[in-house]
Amino acid sequence: MRHSTIPERRERPVDPMPKSPHPLEEGGGPRRPETGSPDKDSLMKRMRKVDPKQAERYRQRTGE
Amino acid sequence: MRLFGIETEYGITRDDVAEMDPVVESMDWCAHTWPLSFERRWDYASEDPHEDARGFRVSGLQQDREEDEFAKVDAHRPFSFHEMKSDLVLPNGARFYNDHTHPEYSTPECRMIADLLAQDRAGERIVLRAAQRRNRTLGGTHVRLYKNNTDFHGHSYGCHDNYLVPRAIPFSTLVAGLVPFLVSRQLIAGAGKVGTEAQESGHVPGRYQLSQRADFMEAELGVDTMHNRPILNTRDEPHADRAKYRRLHLIIGDANMCEYATALKVGTTQLVLDLIERGAAPDVELEQPVVAVKQLSRDPDLKAVARLKNGWTLSALEIQERYYEAASQRLSGSDEESDWLLKEWGETLRLLAHDRLRLVGKLDWVTKQWLIETFMQEEHLGWDDPWLASLDLEYHNVNPEQGLYLGLEADGKAWRMTTDQMIEEAIQNGPSDTRGGLRGLCVQRFPDQIKLIQWERVKFVGGLRSRALEMGDLFDPHDVRRCASIFQQASSPADALRAWNHRKESRQ
Repeated sequence: MRHSTIPERRERPVDPMPKSPHPLEEGGGPRRPETGSPDKDSLMKRMRKVDPKQAERYRQRTGE
Repeated sequence: MRLFGIETEYGITRDDVAEMDPVVESMDWCAHTWPLSFERRWDYASEDPHEDARGFRVSGLQQDREEDEFAKVDAHRPFSFHEMKSDLVLPNGARFYNDHTHPEYSTPECRMIADLLAQDRAGERIVLRAAQRRNRTLGGTHVRLYKNNTDFHGHSYGCHDNYLVPRAIPFSTLVAGLVPFLVSRQLIAGAGKVGTEAQESGHVPGRYQLSQRADFMEAELGVDTMHNRPILNTRDEPHADRAKYRRLHLIIGDANMCEYATALKVGTTQLVLDLIERGAAPDVELEQPVVAVKQLSRDPDLKAVARLKNGWTLSALEIQERYYEAASQRLSGSDEESDWLLKEWGETLRLLAHDRLRLVGKLDWVTKQWLIETFMQEEHLGWDDPWLASLDLEYHNVNPEQGLYLGLEADGKAWRMTTDQMIEEAIQNGPSDTRGGLRGLCVQRFPDQIKLIQWERVKFVGGLRSRALEMGDLFDPHDVRRCASIFQQASSPADALRAWNHRKESRQ
């Protein structure tokens, strides 16, 4: 699967999630995604800034 | 009865030192989370990872030897055990501590998916703010935090999802109903990974796969969590009344950045548990679950099939569809949240089969694959280019100035199911209808009077008599709210406990 362009949203936002009882009652439900043009260039620019050797240097101890 | 929570171990690194001391760095991180001392009173008495849900107690874990080696080294450090664990209970009832050199945020217990999402995102913000404070001390943006599950050198760390389950359900019934579901759940909940690896064996660059953790699954069942990791963990630590409950402790899951993926991961698992409780789980028996979990992960085209014991074969999509259909038949109309989950689960499976791009911003593995393949095309890179693993890693960076997923979210292309207001509220308070919120309330109201604290109990100082708020069977949301109301208004823990105990006795 190859994608050369950022996919356009062709669907409506999902129906609101069931709202949580207090304390999230006021802010419950999903935020409607913005459907305007995505700033692809800024994301590609951010990706180009990633050090190609970042993963090579990244070492962790085994966790759970 | 629904109750669930997520534990997330974060990866940490510093770019201003040649070799980072992970113990010291994790300690410093925790110290920058909540620079108060009273919360470092976690009660370890109820923790015993050697108890096995299959009905026996193991004499040792595979990680014990390695842990002993680390303990010998750590014994020479000028820190106490409690300082190294840096165990905090936050005012929202979450636990934040240093687990095997990984800062770990465990959400307070939640009853609603919306609360869980807010609490999970609250964890990201809390660790990010700790990193920002730490960076101010260091004088630069040197510390990075990753919400992922691998270092691309064969070291994995977990994101565990937990569920309260009636002990009346035989463990063997849980196993039969859950294993095929968990093997195929990565289709929805996988965070995606470039290349392959195995426990402490290094990273092989190459094709993309669905899951970060599938490579590290080495057993179908087991009590271990750091070596020989199982698809279904058998640790029997209920953190509740043992006679009535189990805690299902799942270690197979990836850490998700997409809120939608987190919602479906936990929500569909809860639905399957509801099915199992009703004796209505689909009859699917995989011949080799450990082989299947890797095979299915390593085929992002979703053509791979797993062999069943009856000789048939099913793809991950087909397994998920069987569970979805059973859940639709038995659980539709149960409640609003179940209906929402069923609708989104079904739609997600349909889109995975026919229109996957519409899941960008909803499922992590789809989103990351699209980002990386777009980048590969722009930069003319092949799958063996080591840059791709670095991009994979940075997808999970929790700094919104650096992280690739958070950049996508800032562009409005990720499906938000929380608001910033919900997250800020979740940082301050736990859910008002679970003992998690009640635990947090104790920390808020009586911080200096807590002697010991853990999941099912808060012990307060004072007097010869033990004064403890027992929460091992405090799950009814009305009871939780009544108890919280008492603790909110009482002038001391002793007054609150007296009033709460009186109320309980008067109802008996």
